[in-house]
Amino acid sequence: MNRQTTPTDWKGATMQKRIAGRYAAERRFKAVGLGAVLLSGAFLAFLLFVMVGNGVRGFTYTHVSVPVDFKAMPLTIDTARLGDADADQVIANAGLADIVAFAADEALGADGSKLISENAWKEVRSAIKADPELLKSKTVFELPASSEVDIAAKEGAKGALGAKVDALEKDGKLSTGIHWPFFKNADATDPAVAGIWGALKGSVLTIFIAFLIAFPTGVLAALYLEEYAAKNRWTDLIEVSINNLAAVPSIIFGLLALAVFINWFGLCQASPLVGGLTLALMTMPVIVIASRNAIKSVPPSIRDAALGVGASPVQVVFHHVLPLALPGILTGTIIGMARALGETAPLLLVGMRAFIGDVPGGICSPSTVLPMQIFLWSDEVDRGFVEKTSAAIIVLLIVLLSMNAFAIYLRNKFEKRW
Amino acid sequence: MTFNAAALLLLIAGLALMGWLAGRARSSLLAGRAGTKLHSRPQYHGWYVALWLFAPAALFLAVWSSVSPALITNQVLTSEAAQSLPSFGFERGAILSDARSVAEGKQAAVRLPAAAPLVKPYSDATHRYAWIGIAAMLALALAGGLYAFTRIRPDFRARTRVEKIVMLFLLLASLVAILTTFGIVLSLLFESIRFFRLVSPAELLFGTTWAPTSGAPQPGTFGGIPLFWGTVLIGTIIAMIVAIPIGMMTAVYLTQYAAPTVRKWVKPLLEILAGVPTVVYGYFAALTVAPALREFAVMLGIPNASTESALAAGIVMGVMIIPFVSSMADDSINAVPQAMRDGSLALGATPNETIRQVLIPAALPGVMGGILLAVSRAIGETMIVVMAAGLSANMTANPFASVTTVTAQIVKLLTGDQEFDSAKTLAAFALGLVLFLVTLLLNIVALRIVKKYREAYE
Repeated sequence: MNRQTTPTDWKGATMQKRIAGRYAAERRFKAVGLGAVLLSGAFLAFLLFVMVGNGVRGFTYTHVSVPVDFKAMPLTIDTARLGDADADQVIANAGLADIVAFAADEALGADGSKLISENAWKEVRSAIKADPELLKSKTVFELPASSEVDIAAKEGAKGALGAKVDALEKDGKLSTGIHWPFFKNADATDPAVAGIWGALKGSVLTIFIAFLIAFPTGVLAALYLEEYAAKNRWTDLIEVSINNLAAVPSIIFGLLALAVFINWFGLCQASPLVGGLTLALMTMPVIVIASRNAIKSVPPSIRDAALGVGASPVQVVFHHVLPLALPGILTGTIIGMARALGETAPLLLVGMRAFIGDVPGGICSPSTVLPMQIFLWSDEVDRGFVEKTSAAIIVLLIVLLSMNAFAIYLRNKFEKRW
Repeated sequence: MTFNAAALLLLIAGLALMGWLAGRARSSLLAGRAGTKLHSRPQYHGWYVALWLFAPAALFLAVWSSVSPALITNQVLTSEAAQSLPSFGFERGAILSDARSVAEGKQAAVRLPAAAPLVKPYSDATHRYAWIGIAAMLALALAGGLYAFTRIRPDFRARTRVEKIVMLFLLLASLVAILTTFGIVLSLLFESIRFFRLVSPAELLFGTTWAPTSGAPQPGTFGGIPLFWGTVLIGTIIAMIVAIPIGMMTAVYLTQYAAPTVRKWVKPLLEILAGVPTVVYGYFAALTVAPALREFAVMLGIPNASTESALAAGIVMGVMIIPFVSSMADDSINAVPQAMRDGSLALGATPNETIRQVLIPAALPGVMGGILLAVSRAIGETMIVVMAAGLSANMTANPFASVTTVTAQIVKLLTGDQEFDSAKTLAAFALGLVLFLVTLLLNIVALRIVKKYREAYE
C-alpha cells in the first residue's frame, strides 16, 4: 500500500469553515429542540392562562343593593308556617317575587327589576326563612344582578346598559363577592344561579362506583396473571384482550354500555351507576397493566423466603407480595381514576347529557358529571355561561392535577430499589 | 314491598359476618376441647362458613333480580284485567310500565287510564315474587352456612378449600377483560347486522353522501366516505403534522441535550398536556383557537372560512398527542445501545450528526410504532372534534372548512332521538364497528413493530 495521502490541513480556511458550519448546525439543531420543548410549554401555559383568565371571574358575581320595605309592602303570610316543609311554596304564593321586583323598580328606577336576576327573590326568601323578623322592617338586600349587568360590570359595556351600570357603580350600589351559588347549586337555565355542585356530586358518585368495581377486579386479575397463571393459550388470550382494551377508543365503551347496560339489562339511564360501570370497564385494563408492573418489581427472593417457611401460594401473595406492591398499584389506580374523571365521550352515549336541575340523590338518580357540565355549558348561548364554563374547567383541572400530583408523591415516597 | 337487591345483599353480608364469627369460635372451641391441633387456623374455618353462606345466596339474588320482572309480568298477563290489553306493540308496553311504576311506588297515580285495573295485579305479583325470592335466598344462605358449619373438625382442611375459592375469584376477575372484549364485539356486531339489513355495507364503506334521516332509510344517504376523510384529515394529517415534529424534537432535546434536573421537571410538566381532559381541549379549540384561525383565514383571503374548522380541531388534537409521541420516541431512543452513540461520537461526529444519522435510524421502528398508536388515539378522539370541527359532512381538502369525523357522528346519531329500530341510530353502531376494527388493526401492527424492534438489540 503506497497510496499517496496528504495530511488534512485542519488549520486551512476550507476546513475551518467546514468545522464552523458543523458547529453552527449543531447549535441550530439544539435550538430547534429547545424550541420544540418551549413550544409545547407555551401552549400549556397559554391554555391555562386563557382558562384561568376567563374562569376567575366566574367565581365572583355582581350584587345590587336593593332596599325592600316590608312595612310599605307587607307580605301577608303566617310566620308560624315558615318552618313547615312547604314554606317555599307558601312564600312564593304570597307574591314575594312581585314585591322584590317592585322594590327594585323603586330603588333603581324604571326597569330596575330587569337589573336583578329573575331568581333574586329566592335569596330574599331564604333570608326570611332564616329570620322572620325581617318581615316587619325595611332591609337592604344584596341581590344577584342579572347576567347582563354582571357581565357589564366586569367587562364594561357601551350604550344604555353601560351608562346604567356606571351610574349604579358611582352610587355604590354594586358590590362583587364570591359567588356561593356556583358551589352550592346544580345546573340552571339562569347563569346567576347555575352551579357545579350537582355535577361534582355526580362525578364523585360515578368515580366511586367505577373504583369499587375496577380496583378489586383489576388487582385480582393482575395477581392471577402475574403470580399463578400457567403460560398457555387462555392466558395469552386474556393478556391480548387486556392490552387491546387499554387502547380501544373511549367512545366504543359508551356504545357497549348503551347496548348492554341500558338496552339489555335496563339499568337506570343517565345515572352514576351506569356511568360508573362504563368507566370501570374502561379503567380496569389500565389498573391491570399498572398492577402487573408493580407486582413484577417485587423481588422473587421474598416469595421464595415465604414459601420456604411454609406459607401457601395464596398466603405468599396476600401476605407478602400484595402489601409490597400496593404503593405502585395505588399510583396506577389514581392515574387511571383521574383519566376516568375527565372522560366525557362514553357518558354522552348513556344519556348523561340531559339537563339536570337537581343535585343527584343516589346512584340510580339522573345526574351529570363535571366534564359533561362543561360540555353542556359550552353550548349555551347566554354569555354569562362562558365564564361559568371556564370556572368549572378550573375546578376540574385542580381536582385532576391534585390527583396526579398525589400519585407522583406516592410513587416518589414509596419508590424502592431492591 | 319491592325487591330491594342492595338491602338484601347487605342482609346476607351481615349473616356471612355472623357465620364467620361462629365458624371461628367453633373451631377454636374444638381445638381447645380435643387437645388436638387444628389443620387450619380458626379464621380459615370462619371464612369457609362465611363463603358458603354468602356465595350461593348472592348468586341466587343476581339470577332472581334479573328474571323476576319477566315472571311478574307473566303473572299479571294471566290475570283477568289483562285480557282487555291491546294485543302488542308500544301502547301495551306503555300501559304495563305505567302500572308497574305505580305498583312499585315510583309514581303516585296512573297516567294512562287503561293501566288503573292492572295496578292491583301488579302489586300482588310483585309482593308474591319478592317474598318467594327472599324466602328462597334465606333458605339457601342458611343451608349453605349449616353445611359448612357441620363440617368443622380439627382435621378439616379449611385453608385449602378457602384458597381454592380465592383462586376461582382471581380467575373470574381476569376473565372480565375477555368478557368486555366479547361484549364490545358482540354488541357492535349485533346492532351493525341489524343496520346492514337496512343499508348495504358497500354503501356505508364506499358511498360519498352522508345525510342520514330518521324513518325508513333513503338510498344513498349513508355513505361513510366523507366521515372517513374528515377523520383522516383531522386525526392523521393535521394532528400528526403538529405532533410528530414537536414530539420528536422534544424527545431528542430531553434525552440528549437537557440537564438531568431540567428533564426531571420538564417531562412531568409536558405530561400534563396528556392529562388535560379532552372536553377542556374541545372548549379551548372552539372558544380561542377556531376564531383566531378564522380571522387568519379571512386575512389571507380564503373564502368561506368557518368558525368550526378542521384545522382548529387538528392543531389542538396534535398538541394533546405531543407527550404521547415524545414519550414513545424517548423510550426507543433510550433503547438504542449506548455503544452505538459512543462509537459515532468517537469518530468525530457532532451530537446532532449522531442523533440524525445513528440514533434516529436505529430507533425508527419504535418511533413508527409509537406514531401508529398516536394515530389510533387521534382517530378515536371524540370531544375535540364534536366541539370544534363541526357536524356537517364535507368532502374538502380545505383545512379551514368544517368537516366531521366518525366519532362526532356517533355522538350526533345517538344523542338525538332514542328509537332503537331506526337506521339512523343503528348506523352509530356500524360506525363504531368500523372505528373499533381500524384502531384494533393499528394497535396490533404498532405493537408488533415495537416488539420486533425491541428484540433486535437484546
